[in-house]
Amino acid sequence: MKGYRNYFANKLIWFGITLVAAFVLNFFLPRLMPGNPVAAIVARLAQGMSNTAGVQAIYEQYAKLFGTDKTMLEQFFLYVRNVFRGDFGYSFSQYPRTVADVIRASIWWTIFLQFPAIIVGWVLGNTLGAMAAYRKGGFDKVLLPVSIFVSSLPAFGMAVILLVIFGVTLKWLPTSGGYGYDLIPNLSWSFIWSVIVHYQLPFWSIVLITIGGQAIGMRSMAIYELNADYVKYSRFMGIKDGKIVRYVFRNAMLPQVTGLALAVGTMVGGALVAEIIFSYPGLGSTILTAVLGQDYPLISATTLIVTIMVLIANFVIEIIYGFLDPRIKAAQAD
Amino acid sequence: MGNAVLEVNELTTKYITRFGENIYAVDHVSLKVEEGKSLGIAGESGCGKSTLALSLMGYYFPPLYYTSGQIIIDGQNISGMDPDEVRKAILGKEIAYIPQSAMNALNPTQRIINFIEDVIEAHKPYATKKEIYDQAKSLFEVLGLPAEVLNKYPVELSGGMKQRTVIAISVILSPQILIADEPSSALDVTSQKMVIKMLRNLMDSGLIKSMIFITHELPLLYNVTDDIMVMYAGQIVEKAGAHEMVFTPIHPYSQGLMGSIMVPESGLRDKKLTAIPGVPPNLKNPPSGCRFAERCKYVMPECRVTSIPLRDAGGGRAYRCILPKEFLMEAYERERGER
Repeated sequence: MKGYRNYFANKLIWFGITLVAAFVLNFFLPRLMPGNPVAAIVARLAQGMSNTAGVQAIYEQYAKLFGTDKTMLEQFFLYVRNVFRGDFGYSFSQYPRTVADVIRASIWWTIFLQFPAIIVGWVLGNTLGAMAAYRKGGFDKVLLPVSIFVSSLPAFGMAVILLVIFGVTLKWLPTSGGYGYDLIPNLSWSFIWSVIVHYQLPFWSIVLITIGGQAIGMRSMAIYELNADYVKYSRFMGIKDGKIVRYVFRNAMLPQVTGLALAVGTMVGGALVAEIIFSYPGLGSTILTAVLGQDYPLISATTLIVTIMVLIANFVIEIIYGFLDPRIKAAQAD
Repeated sequence: MGNAVLEVNELTTKYITRFGENIYAVDHVSLKVEEGKSLGIAGESGCGKSTLALSLMGYYFPPLYYTSGQIIIDGQNISGMDPDEVRKAILGKEIAYIPQSAMNALNPTQRIINFIEDVIEAHKPYATKKEIYDQAKSLFEVLGLPAEVLNKYPVELSGGMKQRTVIAISVILSPQILIADEPSSALDVTSQKMVIKMLRNLMDSGLIKSMIFITHELPLLYNVTDDIMVMYAGQIVEKAGAHEMVFTPIHPYSQGLMGSIMVPESGLRDKKLTAIPGVPPNLKNPPSGCRFAERCKYVMPECRVTSIPLRDAGGGRAYRCILPKEFLMEAYERERGER
């Protein structure tokens, strides 16, 4: 038990170091991009203005507001202080909205799109993979190539195919947005229905790709486990097939748990492509606009969210694994 | 003649490959094990020993299929029974199996006691957890295994301990006969000795009535079993008492096997080891005549024509060769003298 605790203490320290390193990079990397975001904003505001001194004054005011008039190091320490106070500052590109405000408006779209899609894809994929391993024959012969095909498609490929078929050709589903452009978010039935309809294409594009990869992984793990010696021994001790299948799938599931946790951890980054293609108002689209607009505070904050989620997911995997697999728990305690 | 615990008549089983070929890995095998006796099965790799062990269970799953023959346990023919009936009434209760690599025979994510619960529940659905635990604990104590093992995961046990745990689980429903398929081949010598001692102990204490022991290690058979059967290419080529088999083998293949081992007995010491040249035939299309013909030094043209039946050699011995036993035994003696 002591070894087990030490293992996690050790892991925590490493996660802490990783977090600090990522935090520093999240701050500096976007700011190393060439270009001056404040100048771009001012240029937009100053359109049609002929007073150079006035434009200069506006520029200085914004530079002061965003803190870009200070040195990079000063900015960094200010940023650290503010983050500890829970303040991520103003978004450059969407001023006067704060970063917290922008993220708050978009993160739920991402979570409600991605989380169910990953779970559904994972459950369906594992079930299909397990069935293919157990039933073999024709089912397996169809499922395996289809899964390989689907999982080899890049995420945008799947999204574009669905978009063209169901959105453009058949016109069954809307092609972009999180809800109808003519609606204002409220709790009316017409709005909720619009959200549901807009949800389908991005949702299924993620689900299908997840299914493919998970089914392949589960299939090969389950085949391996079905041929394990304990299966033969359990059979010869008269244990029912149903129970043996439960042993097998529980054990085959173990590596798949990693896949699930990582998918959940990289949810925001993974959402990027589907959200951009369907112009879904989630965090993925936000990251894209932030990067395009050189919106430093927004880039830093969104990438920090990704970092923290990945670290948490990894840590949770470690703990869950210890409970699911005594072999790993023993190795961790060593 | 004692009471036959297991009687097998002309049992034939086959593997069906992915390409639909039939491979008869057990070909018309007959054997009999009496109460209180143990039978050893020897042969090189790929001769059908392990397949015979699987086939004797009377419970088949792909790619192994039953073809013909009878398996009679304690007077009951199980070869025609419904598979689910075999599972419930025979497996574990009448006939139990110890797999080749008992090291991996336990589900790695299950505590030993939970597996025992599953085993007992498969046969006695109304047993309570407490009863099962008590039964397992007293069995483990009788067999000299610490009761703590019950609450451990397989990964927490050493190799020898895992093997002995598997043996204990195999006999928990007090089967009539135990089939041990190379139960000690993956262990170091000390653990091997403990496993063998445990198996002998099971017989002596009457926990099991008889045993079939499969191995390629002949000295082990000589020490453990009463009779030895030598298999070659899915067939029995010779049956004899353990002592006769080791010191006066008749069939040229048995002679080759015995000549290739070191038995630290007086009379066999200081003898050079010989190897049998060649490899066993491919069972996809076995030779029509004697299956050993290709590797046999006494081979004659008629050996390759018709299949050779098992011949009675008197004294409960039998061998599968057209040459007279006197000739073969003399030749073996002469050869040993020369070496």
